[in-house]
Amino acid sequence: MNDTIGITALVPPELMYACGKRPLDVNNVVPVSSSSPSNKLCAWTAIWRDMILNGGLDIDSLVVVAGGDCHNALVDGQKAELSGMPTHYFFYPFDGDTDYLRSQLEKLVRFLGGIQDERMFSLISDLKAKGRALDELRVNDRARGSDVFSALISFSDLAGNPDIFGKTLDSVPRTDIRYSSRVALIGVPPIYPDFHETAEGFGLHVVYDELPYEFLRLGGSSLDSLASSYRDYSFAGPLKNRVRLIQDELLRRRVDGVIHYTQYACHHTLEDEIFRQHLDYPILTVQGDLPRPSTEQLKLRLEAFAEMLGVMS
Amino acid sequence: MNIGLDVGSTTAKIVHVEEREVIFSKVVPSHHWTELIDDGQDDRCIVSTGYFRKKVPHCAAITEITAASLGARYHNPETQVIIDIGGQDTKVIDLRSNTFVINDKCSAGTGAFLELAAHYFDIPVGSLGRLHSLATKGAQLNNTCGVFAISEMISQLVSGYSMEEVIYGLHQAFALKISQMVPSADTVMLIGGTVRNTGIIDAINNVLDSKIEVPGAPQLVNALGAALYRERLDDGR
Ligand code: SF4
Repeated sequence: MNDTIGITALVPPELMYACGKRPLDVNNVVPVSSSSPSNKLCAWTAIWRDMILNGGLDIDSLVVVAGGDCHNALVDGQKAELSGMPTHYFFYPFDGDTDYLRSQLEKLVRFLGGIQDERMFSLISDLKAKGRALDELRVNDRARGSDVFSALISFSDLAGNPDIFGKTLDSVPRTDIRYSSRVALIGVPPIYPDFHETAEGFGLHVVYDELPYEFLRLGGSSLDSLASSYRDYSFAGPLKNRVRLIQDELLRRRVDGVIHYTQYACHHTLEDEIFRQHLDYPILTVQGDLPRPSTEQLKLRLEAFAEMLGVMS
Repeated sequence: MNIGLDVGSTTAKIVHVEEREVIFSKVVPSHHWTELIDDGQDDRCIVSTGYFRKKVPHCAAITEITAASLGARYHNPETQVIIDIGGQDTKVIDLRSNTFVINDKCSAGTGAFLELAAHYFDIPVGSLGRLHSLATKGAQLNNTCGVFAISEMISQLVSGYSMEEVIYGLHQAFALKISQMVPSADTVMLIGGTVRNTGIIDAINNVLDSKIEVPGAPQLVNALGAALYRERLDDGR
């Protein structure tokens, strides 16, 4: 069986599959975890770190996305490395330098043992096109935001098997939906496993999930094209680029309001002010800490936001 | 007649509104809320709000945010920002942008903090305002955590500050904590039972540049807003 490589954030999955490896986004196990890790800042990194240290994650090695993304991951990834896990560090360029990113991709390919199957590039490119079509369905009120989110969030590792994942995409229910307001969800994904369902319970239709859309937006079929696409990974680059991208999507998706999810002890929380200055929409900021079903505090905020968008506007 | 019922963490309030005039209101401790509606008229449409809004009879239940927005606008349609200081949380609502923030993680900016302090001094929470007015200066509280603030207050008493000065400083710290949530605005309305404490109003006035308004019965604003919401139901909105 192919080696399974843990990834801590977005690492071009087409390249990993082309190298004959199976990526496993270690974040995907976090929302369903019930652990309360000690020595934690952000629960996302603390939980996958503990799982690696306790042998609870079935991975052969780890790629830590450090540069341009998350310093908590950089530290917790090193703890995994010190425990004996073969670990590689992948850095995005803050300034979008294509050559730099290409050299990072080359190093990654060396760590993964070289490209073995170039067909994976087109296979995954087709899946991403399918993902974008699915994303459009919810924009056009033909699919539930919760169903689409569950599918799109898995584009970071294609659930470990592109063929089966393709079938999962086909099986996402197509259904006309009713709602009171259209909202965008920006920031890191919520650690609450039922966030989208909870929002839907209050009539909020999530028509944009910022991070999963990055998974779909970027791609390529060679080191050059991957480098010139992934250099735009918005979470790793300057905020002004990210704001511009969000503004375009909010307009295109005709949203009524924006929910900014923040994670306790995550530096992205500091971005809230900037979004409030530059996004001309009602904004609700919520924060999560440990992975648990939606709390009453979260429900009150979502319900009040739905009322604000519906009744008060 | 439109009826608004606000059952919060500490008190329950009812307001009856007819032709946009309040004709009746009453406040009881939260767990006595049934007294507010046990007049045998079970077929009325009550709009509920507050923590227990879904646990009490209602034909519509709205959050405190919406209730406060409607109630505050009734008092002053020009109000820009509302600060609703509740027993367990504090909410700041910006009516210009339809946005709000809620502090429910830290007790330091909520009524519970004042209860804790009053309990320490063994005085009724209702007397904090009067004691505040007797001080001309305050002891500076550095701790924003409610529990640690109490130990800091004890040290201040030990170092010679009077109880009145410590209470003045406590209100100032409370207002500072809340001000971090408040956007810049011309007019800010304070609501919720806690703002019957004149020391809090004074401290918020000192800390914010905005014009501060306090309606006649600040603890009834959310129940009033709930009653007014009924008109929207009738409009089919
Ligand atoms: S939520 Fe923030 S701190 Fe946590 S893993 Fe993601 S980027 Fe890092």
